Amino acid sequence: MKLYFFLLLFALFYFISSQNYVFAQNNKDITVKIINTDDLSAIINNSDLPLLINVWATWCTPCREEFPDLVKIGRSYGDKVRVVGISVDDSDVLNSKVIPFIKNQKADFEIYLLKVVESEDFINLLNKKWSGAIPATFIYDKDGNQKEMLIGKQSYESFEEAIKKVIE
Amino acid sequence: MRSKKVFVLIALSTIASLLIAAVNNFSLQMKIENFSLKDYNGKEHSLSDYKDSKAIVIIFIATECPISNAYNARMENIYKNYSQKNIAFIGINSNKEESVSRIKEHAEEKGLTFTILKDEKNIIADKFEASFTPEAYILNNNFEILYHGRIDNSKNQSEVVSKDLENALNAILADKEVSKKETKAFGCTIKRI
Repeated sequence: MKLYFFLLLFALFYFISSQNYVFAQNNKDITVKIINTDDLSAIINNSDLPLLINVWATWCTPCREEFPDLVKIGRSYGDKVRVVGISVDDSDVLNSKVIPFIKNQKADFEIYLLKVVESEDFINLLNKKWSGAIPATFIYDKDGNQKEMLIGKQSYESFEEAIKKVIE
Repeated sequence: MRSKKVFVLIALSTIASLLIAAVNNFSLQMKIENFSLKDYNGKEHSLSDYKDSKAIVIIFIATECPISNAYNARMENIYKNYSQKNIAFIGINSNKEESVSRIKEHAEEKGLTFTILKDEKNIIADKFEASFTPEAYILNNNFEILYHGRIDNSKNQSEVVSKDLENALNAILADKEVSKKETKAFGCTIKRI
């Protein structure tokens, strides 16, 4: 009995400390993991496919406006490009704002939430010329070389045009 | 002969050091030309009006950006504290969707008492190459940029560990060089025409 109690406590602790949120969307399990700058580095360096990283937040109107096109891109090109969304919302609004937004958008690509004290390292890792204005999208080829930086609200066509440069 | 070689070496290393210093400071050697904009009451302000100040703080702000709004009280405090020390403080709104009347209403609602100018057609944002709100600049009285970037490291006041704008102002007031001349943070894109 005591062992079960400790196992339960451990599981609960693990669940809280891992700060991942898992839910089902379009018959897929979607995990929203909290990441830091090192995790971003691993994402960039360990992708088998060309990579699209979109930095967004629920408080950012143009981010919300372009999001449906990003969802469509994920569905159209998901087999050729790894589509990753990184929310820079506060982690305390993960359950109240970020997850409901993702569910509402029926997004089924990889989504993370950034939690760092110092955002400069994250910004500079993505591009030293980037001011931090969002939305911002970064396109990498399969070798991890950044080929495009798109600042501001994009359309399906502009995402597609940038992607085609790394998949053709 | 040997002393000539030593001289050439010293000269070359001095030139190299100067070149490195010039390259390092290049991005912030930018000088802003004098400009004039109207505030939300229609009064015209020129940058040259503030030439007697020790420095001029210019922050690109917005009425609807949650990040800019998170800094309203902090901007007002910095204005109040540093205006007593001969530092001028100006807000500029370059967002195409934010009207003069909305800017006035917003300033009244949020208790912003510093000068806020409307940059129609984002001409001044283009001159500064400003891209987000709240994006801060400090100019000297020759209108050269001494600091560019964020107000501090976090929109949540409880998580602030680096008051970059105030640190830069304190250095300027002490006639010291600004150690961190360029900083970055997440912000809302300035909506241009």
